[in-house]
Amino acid sequence: MASAPLAPYNSSPLGISSSQNASRESLKMEPLADVAVLPGEERVIDKEIIYICPFNSAVKGKVSITNYRLYFKNTDSETPVTLNVPLGVISRVEKMGGASSRGENSYGLEITCKDMRNLRFALKQEGHSRRDIFEILFKYAFPLSHGMQLFAFLSQEKYEENGWNVYEPLEEYRRQGLPNSEWRVTFINKNYELCDTYPTILVVPYKATDEDLRRVATFRSRCRIPVLSWFHKENHAVITRCSQPLVGMSGKRNKDDERYLDIIRDANGTIKLTIYDARPNVNAVANKATGGGYEGDDAYQNAELVFLDIHNIHVMRESLKKLKDIVYPNVEESHWLSSLESTHWLEHIKLVLSGAIQVADKVSSGNSVVVHCSDGWDRTAQLTSLSMLMLDSYYRTLGGFQVLLEKEWIGFGHKFASRIGHGDKNHADQDRSPIFLQFIDCVWQMTKQFPTAFEFNERLLVVILDHLYSCRFGTFLYNCESARESNNVRVKTVSLWSLINSDTSLYINPFYTPESSRVLYPVASMRHLELWVTYYIRWNPRIQHQQQSPVEQRYKELLALRDQYLKKLEELQLSDSAPSSTHLTNSSAPNAATPNQHITHLQTPF
Amino acid sequence: MMSHSSLHVRGRDVLGLCCLPGECVLQRAVLVRKKLSAKEGGGWLSGTLFCTHFRVAFVPQDSQKPDDNADPVLLGDHDVALASIDKVVAVGPSRTKLVTPSCSLKFTPEELVLYCRDLRVLCFLFDRLTPDTQAVEITYTIAKTYQPLKPGTIISFQNAALGSIEMKQFLSNRRRDPTMNWFESSLGWEQELERTCATGWRVSSVNDRFEMSTSLPRFSVVPQRVLDTELKKTFAHFNEGRIPRWCWRHPRGSDLLRMASFQNNIYHEKDDIRNLESVLFGGQQLCVIVDLGEEMPSPADIQLAHTRLRTLCLGDISSSVSVPDDKWLSTLESTRWLDYTRCCLRKAAEVACLLRGGHMTVVLQEPEDRDMNCVVCSLVQVMCDPHCRTVAGFQSLVQKEWITAGHKFLSRINYHRESDKEEAPVFLLFLDCVWQLWAQYPARFQLTEDYLLALHDSVHLPLFSSLLANSQRERCRRSQHLPQSYTPVNGLRELPMGGPEEPVDPPFPPVWDWALQYSSQRRVRFTQPVSQPTCPPPVLNGNLNTNLDRGWHNDGLPGSVFLLSRSTFSHPSNLLPWRSGNSGSYWKSHRRAPSSESVSGLERLIRACSLSEPSENSATLHDPYEPLLPLLLGPCVRVWRSCYLRGALHAQAFSHPVSSCTQHPLERLSWEVQQLREKLAQASNRGPENQTKRQEPRRQESNLNQNANNGTFLFSSSSKTSQQQASPSRGASHSSVRPEPSGQHPTCPGLHRGTTASTRFCSATNKSRRSQGSVTFPPLVPNFPNAQETHTDLQAGRKRHPLVFVLLKRYNTVQTET
Repeated sequence: MASAPLAPYNSSPLGISSSQNASRESLKMEPLADVAVLPGEERVIDKEIIYICPFNSAVKGKVSITNYRLYFKNTDSETPVTLNVPLGVISRVEKMGGASSRGENSYGLEITCKDMRNLRFALKQEGHSRRDIFEILFKYAFPLSHGMQLFAFLSQEKYEENGWNVYEPLEEYRRQGLPNSEWRVTFINKNYELCDTYPTILVVPYKATDEDLRRVATFRSRCRIPVLSWFHKENHAVITRCSQPLVGMSGKRNKDDERYLDIIRDANGTIKLTIYDARPNVNAVANKATGGGYEGDDAYQNAELVFLDIHNIHVMRESLKKLKDIVYPNVEESHWLSSLESTHWLEHIKLVLSGAIQVADKVSSGNSVVVHCSDGWDRTAQLTSLSMLMLDSYYRTLGGFQVLLEKEWIGFGHKFASRIGHGDKNHADQDRSPIFLQFIDCVWQMTKQFPTAFEFNERLLVVILDHLYSCRFGTFLYNCESARESNNVRVKTVSLWSLINSDTSLYINPFYTPESSRVLYPVASMRHLELWVTYYIRWNPRIQHQQQSPVEQRYKELLALRDQYLKKLEELQLSDSAPSSTHLTNSSAPNAATPNQHITHLQTPF
Repeated sequence: MMSHSSLHVRGRDVLGLCCLPGECVLQRAVLVRKKLSAKEGGGWLSGTLFCTHFRVAFVPQDSQKPDDNADPVLLGDHDVALASIDKVVAVGPSRTKLVTPSCSLKFTPEELVLYCRDLRVLCFLFDRLTPDTQAVEITYTIAKTYQPLKPGTIISFQNAALGSIEMKQFLSNRRRDPTMNWFESSLGWEQELERTCATGWRVSSVNDRFEMSTSLPRFSVVPQRVLDTELKKTFAHFNEGRIPRWCWRHPRGSDLLRMASFQNNIYHEKDDIRNLESVLFGGQQLCVIVDLGEEMPSPADIQLAHTRLRTLCLGDISSSVSVPDDKWLSTLESTRWLDYTRCCLRKAAEVACLLRGGHMTVVLQEPEDRDMNCVVCSLVQVMCDPHCRTVAGFQSLVQKEWITAGHKFLSRINYHRESDKEEAPVFLLFLDCVWQLWAQYPARFQLTEDYLLALHDSVHLPLFSSLLANSQRERCRRSQHLPQSYTPVNGLRELPMGGPEEPVDPPFPPVWDWALQYSSQRRVRFTQPVSQPTCPPPVLNGNLNTNLDRGWHNDGLPGSVFLLSRSTFSHPSNLLPWRSGNSGSYWKSHRRAPSSESVSGLERLIRACSLSEPSENSATLHDPYEPLLPLLLGPCVRVWRSCYLRGALHAQAFSHPVSSCTQHPLERLSWEVQQLREKLAQASNRGPENQTKRQEPRRQESNLNQNANNGTFLFSSSSKTSQQQASPSRGASHSSVRPEPSGQHPTCPGLHRGTTASTRFCSATNKSRRSQGSVTFPPLVPNFPNAQETHTDLQAGRKRHPLVFVLLKRYNTVQTET
């Protein structure tokens, strides 16, 4: 059963049909007669079941559960209805109804997913028919809660490219022009002794000694000291990131921290260092109660503090929950806009974007900035990475975007494990929050406003989000680099970038026009932000799947042609001269006469 | 203040403004910067600002000197007609002020903002080096000269634009666009009958002298078997005499009709009834009357919604009332504009689905038959008829269903500000609906968003004969004074004369004379460079394969009439007044109870529309008449940003310089495919030759087959133009059809600019298309939402973007071979 690795996106070699429905799960596996199993994937159970599709009606079929996915295929009609859900996407499995419940299809399972959908299955009421499937699902969907391993560690997938090599910190800093006379690379954290959630390689002001760094660490929440994220080659302004200072109720001060920030300011002669506190002012004040706080005017005289009013992870979680309510399964017509407004989702997007714009603007005008929130791993990551995306066209390339994620999110310890809850059954965990999703949404908004500025396309963003949950790749597992290292992620799992970089053509924006020197300022206004319909509402068959622009369509067609040709060439080489009307069925046969004819025809006018 | 006489130059002004004949420059200001919209590339453009008595013109510093002998173009790319201006606002160092003709300005404006009726906002910045007097005076002059439309002022504006002798002469020699159907003669209607393969209908000229109905056109299409004498008797039974008239035939054989409401309280004679029934049924067995009276927005609703939308979108410096950003969505919703758009689209989609059922007449009924009937009737055709998605087809459609059909443009747009009560931008609502369809299915349209925008803006200019009348009768009456226009029938002269202003009226051109309004660069963007066919192959009447099994079966009861209202079918007894029993001699035996089966059959037809899935399945791709069914869920009906939010803040435009060293990914890929194909050809040449049998032709293949023809025609028709662009190095590289040595083609978004060559290509393709299968081939080049304008010099539209050629050629050659 094992076959070549099949990406869930564009698993079919004939890219056209599957790419047009890229986001429609139902057709994804259509060409496959049965479950296409990944290397390392094992079937656990098959069962007759009824899928209660919210868009049609109840669909009879067979569900297969493997250690990686739930796969459903209908048996009751010609038109295929399939579901292909990586178990990692599941956040909650519940029993629905009881043995004595009345009504048709009232006994079964309800599955809540992290990717904006819920699935309901009904089973026969007799004989505890759901017990085995429920238990298996519960176990395999939440392996960590059952002392099992995530699928990423079981997968045997092989790719041409090794995605773990896309990001080499030193190389990336070298690209930025570092180290230099103002900034140095330090290995002080090589054993994660300074800060266990930071990466090993840090860039700090040249004038700050390792001893200074240690002292500053005592005054920053979780020792996340201000370190360099990005360096502006022309004006030498920098983006630095950190966590909140431990000011507390008493308004403590720390001379070392104050001096350290002043060194950062002084590095390029910035007159006033701007500190962007991502939080709303009130929240920053409230944090004093728990020992945190913000940089006071008195203590940091050469700095100005700006609050960016971005709310915390709990607010974002609730906002997304509301959004899910209005997009799945039913979407409104005439009250859609006010419902959308009441979720505040776009408003949060707007605040994040406009925060990043302020950061980018400050830096491009030559002023260094410090960005932090409370712990410096959620809003801070959003702000630094988005502003870097605005400032540096490298990050807008396919490879550069991977570097950006590896560096600002994965490297600097965005708590993916806690925020997503990989393999964890505790669906109500207060630590979960769609911070990374929100960031990807912001990136999408930018790609919409600057359709020629990004080398990658929307599909890349969707694939990233799908594998954020799927647990098929090691990329987004664990909370920080130290945890990843101790679990040997780079050795035992495959990187998502291996999948992506092994066939980049799927993720290329055909309109991309490279240009280096421009700073992109998107418009962060509700008038210009849009809901990412093709992600959030992609499960609804009645929603528009953005009709591809004709050029993009043609690009896809060419891709498909290329694949077709490659396959045929291969076949031809294999079968050499065996006359076969069979192996060319189903694919267009080349008409040897026409091309030449055509070419000559084309030549003449020139 | 500068003396007017010194600037009063005819023809070309010294400073580069190409004046219309007779146009006077009243004031000018130098060193002004114009803020460019995102679409124009963003940033600021410096140049000179002029105010003439017709327009506010802006001439960029480095603009090319216009050709003196070129035909006059009313508006330059950066100009705005005075009549389009709604408000003039001066922004000073510390204050902003709404400038009215009577007010005085106590500060030197730094910025001048013009709010336009078409929702544009033009913003001009005065430099410190602009003489203060110039800044002040031009602000004053504009404020004094622009005419907030009110009775009387419009004529001076019209005269300023078109009133000079030269202009009149020029206009009188203009040729009408021969590619579109003007529906002004019986020939036009006959062509339409022929185009849609409608049999059983004929063109009647009973209304030739507008005696039967003053608001109907001179010609109507009615069932063949109804004689003119019989037909004459039916007029009395309808409001304003607007009898059921044929509009369009669906290839599956159903006919679309429209009519006004029935006149009640009228005695129905036996003969009348027979005629009325014949007129309603045509040759069909079944008739569905679609009521557009109740559930559709009224003109007053539309007017209110549009006013709210305008206020919301414009955001106004002077009144400083703008909706807070976090309330934007709900405020937008509360304008109800999108609701109305959705409502029209839904109704049209229902009708489109109904027509698919075949063998019936679908009659749109609205009390006056002059507003919603126009909207729905034309939307149905845009959805169902690919021809209506081309520029020529769309213009013909508007001619047919709006202009000649007697939509009250003059009153609805209210140019004269005579009666605000009548004002309602029904036509703009229709354009919005078309835009929604376009935005959902850009590849299925030949016309572009730029075209819709141009038409949108033209509606606000009181210069076009098409829009300056309420009916064809008024238009004909006016055109009598114009010796150059065709004279209708002799009898028309006897009609009473209109108002006193008529003798001085300049000759108004039709709105479709785009060359008069826009430069060739602008017009080039009206169409996609490669497009789908204008004419799908003719299908045998009603013979389209109906294997879709829509569940509709005619139950064989002839003469059934149903009412479609609120998405449900019914057969109320008083639907046709003469059948209701108490009003006349309708004989009982004629009344049959329509079976409930047919109701459910019809309902199934409609349901297909609401359940429509994105039409990517093969059936729709093979059938060009498969309607474009709009998606109506909340997120799918959107605000037309590039129209309504033109004045609002925009994303910093992202204009790329021509990037010289990278190959466009598309090119790279097509090159790769080309190489592979050649390899494959070699390989298979060695192998068996007879592999061409295709067992299961698929969508992709047939598409590609189609392209074979495209390729040929594309190339031969466009080769001349492309040669102009070809660099010497080209010839060599062509032997293997390799990609261009890069560096000579600008960036991809430049693709957007097609030129006249594209139209030639289209027509060439169309010829081939007739003999081809019915596959719709989506156009190649998309609309780029934010893409910059790559201003390659498209001199008079002669040249074509080189990359367009390269790419088109690539695609077509590459694809042909499969």
